[in-house]
Amino acid sequence: MSDLHVAVVERRVAALDAAAALDFVSDPRFGGIASFVGRVRDHNVGRVVTGIGYDLFEPLALRLFRAIGERARGEVGAPLRLWIAHARGDLAIGDLAVVVAAGTPHRDEAFRACRFAIEAVKHEAPIWKQEHYVDGDSAWSEGCSLCEEPREAERHEHASHAHGH
Amino acid sequence: MRIRIALYGALREADASGHVELDVPAGSSIAELRERFAAHLAEHAPAIPSGLVRRSAFASAEEILHNYRTVPEGAELVVLPPVSGG
Repeated sequence: MSDLHVAVVERRVAALDAAAALDFVSDPRFGGIASFVGRVRDHNVGRVVTGIGYDLFEPLALRLFRAIGERARGEVGAPLRLWIAHARGDLAIGDLAVVVAAGTPHRDEAFRACRFAIEAVKHEAPIWKQEHYVDGDSAWSEGCSLCEEPREAERHEHASHAHGH
Repeated sequence: MRIRIALYGALREADASGHVELDVPAGSSIAELRERFAAHLAEHAPAIPSGLVRRSAFASAEEILHNYRTVPEGAELVVLPPVSGG
């Protein structure tokens, strides 16, 4: 059985399930579980928010979630079970937008893996948030550009592609 | 060759169909496709800020395609505005 669970969950089909995440990352070897739950809040930069829509490019998002999981494993250098799930569609205030859970032998590894994974999901995964406001207006959040990859990574990628393609 | 580009996030507002189709010479780079895409939006969706295209990444279903990469033949591409998940 895989020790990495990644998912995109359509809101109108189901809500994200934090209890299922904790169950999944539990293991007799593990004494530490850390989790992060992101929920839709009712305000942002001084405006009253009534709901959020998440748009998502699923094939690449799932591929990135898996890659993030493997990088988290390398970061913590310990046995790891990891759950990464993100919602798509129209969410109401209080709905769960993202759930990350990490199970490891000790708490330090669990906190580090969880923090690593949620930061990477927020900065790298092809997901877009549109806020709806009480006055009827809507706006897409500013976000992180995926063009601004480290130059070193780009050179490395270029070198590896120069031969094969 | 004709390239179909799917739109996401704020760029969905560039075309209600959710995609645009552009003609570029075979062997074009992603940077050249980006210029062609920016020109298309300037003509057909002037409300989209030009800076948004500069900060958006092109990708296939498998990976991000940086500017120096060649536009893959026959693949549907996507254009990804700055991301804001979580």
